[in-house]
Amino acid sequence: MFDYLANPSRFLRLSNRLFMPIGVITCICLAYGLYLGLFASPADYQQGDTVRIIYIHVPAAWLALFGYVGLGLCGLFYVVWRHPLADIAARAIAPVGAVFALLTLITGALWGKPMWGAWWVWDARLTSMLILFFFYLGVIALANGFDRPERGSRPAALLAMVGVINVPIVKFSVDWWNTLHQPASLLRSGGPAVDSSMLTPLLLMLVGAHGYFIIVVILRMRALLAERRLTALRLRPGA
Amino acid sequence: MLGFFIIIIALFPLAIGPKAATLQTLGVPMIWIAALLSSLAGFDRLFAQDVRDGWLDQIALSRLGLGWYAVAKAVAHWLTSSFPLLIITPVLALMLDIATAQLPALMVALLIGSMALTLLGVIGAALAEGARRGGALMAILVLPLAVPVLIFGALAAATKDAIVSPHLMLLGAMLALLMAMAPLVAAAALKIGETESGI
Repeated sequence: MFDYLANPSRFLRLSNRLFMPIGVITCICLAYGLYLGLFASPADYQQGDTVRIIYIHVPAAWLALFGYVGLGLCGLFYVVWRHPLADIAARAIAPVGAVFALLTLITGALWGKPMWGAWWVWDARLTSMLILFFFYLGVIALANGFDRPERGSRPAALLAMVGVINVPIVKFSVDWWNTLHQPASLLRSGGPAVDSSMLTPLLLMLVGAHGYFIIVVILRMRALLAERRLTALRLRPGA
Repeated sequence: MLGFFIIIIALFPLAIGPKAATLQTLGVPMIWIAALLSSLAGFDRLFAQDVRDGWLDQIALSRLGLGWYAVAKAVAHWLTSSFPLLIITPVLALMLDIATAQLPALMVALLIGSMALTLLGVIGAALAEGARRGGALMAILVLPLAVPVLIFGALAAATKDAIVSPHLMLLGAMLALLMAMAPLVAAAALKIGETESGI
């Protein structure tokens, strides 16, 4: 599978085939999920309409973590097997994941002000998420920090792998410490603790957001591949 | 770095105000922040000279290996940059009105914490070697990694009745982990620079 994808043109063919189906599913899920979440689902009996922020907040937080795991895996593939696409994928994922981490923090703050009475509290979940965001920035800065772009790939891959330590800390921070942030409501033993009227839009948004993530990463990877090819063509003697 | 450390400590009371009660509660965290920033400030050119004059190439070719080279760099950097900070800290603690009874815990925590920060700095410097704007890159690489050291270091230093607290033990565990990992990671990062810049 990974050897197969080592050839960029094979990857491009595969991504071409996947692009439309994922795109359609993403659009449907996001549109229907947003409609359900914003209009058709009930307001929370305590939180009122502010509860609707979770339809953005939770998918963004999942993707920030999911993206970082992907980044770490890409780093592993790049460092161990020198997989050429792993570097491209890591460079494609990092800014997208960073934006989702930022979005998590911003939507969380918007929700926190009316609910907790503060934009920000220094509890374990919020702080570890902030550090995850910093790790994203570090990986991006290191990957692009050198005069020759490829020179930054391996240091950034090493850093991405080190930063994976933070992912379980973010995920389990609500269990390990007594945080103000509420514990997990979806992935927990005993099933989701969310009513189906709210669970359906949330799950739709989760699927849609993951699809969106994949689409954007594929687009960015294609752009990066085209950029590499252009540089290679320019460097060819006689060009 | 000593001057930088002292100036940061001196600037805090100017910004916060000279009230003794405030300084007592903020003194230990201030010393930790100052130690973190000043230990970071010395790292961005740690390997630059050795790369430029070819010394690093000689090390890479020799039987010594880059790992031991990184250890030697870390020890030398700690002795010249962090050790002076430790010596001056009791004086600064007096200026900040930190209780004398608290000083042993602060010193032990700083001793272990500064070693851990040095090892993190060596990792960061090795990763960022050869990069543009190495200093800014170092900050963004090392500061997130330094957060656990800062948290447990400050907690261990704030312990009043005993020197050895659970926080200190965790800090020691981090140092032990870094002692094992840092030379390997730094050597791997330096090796990348070796192989990829030689083209």
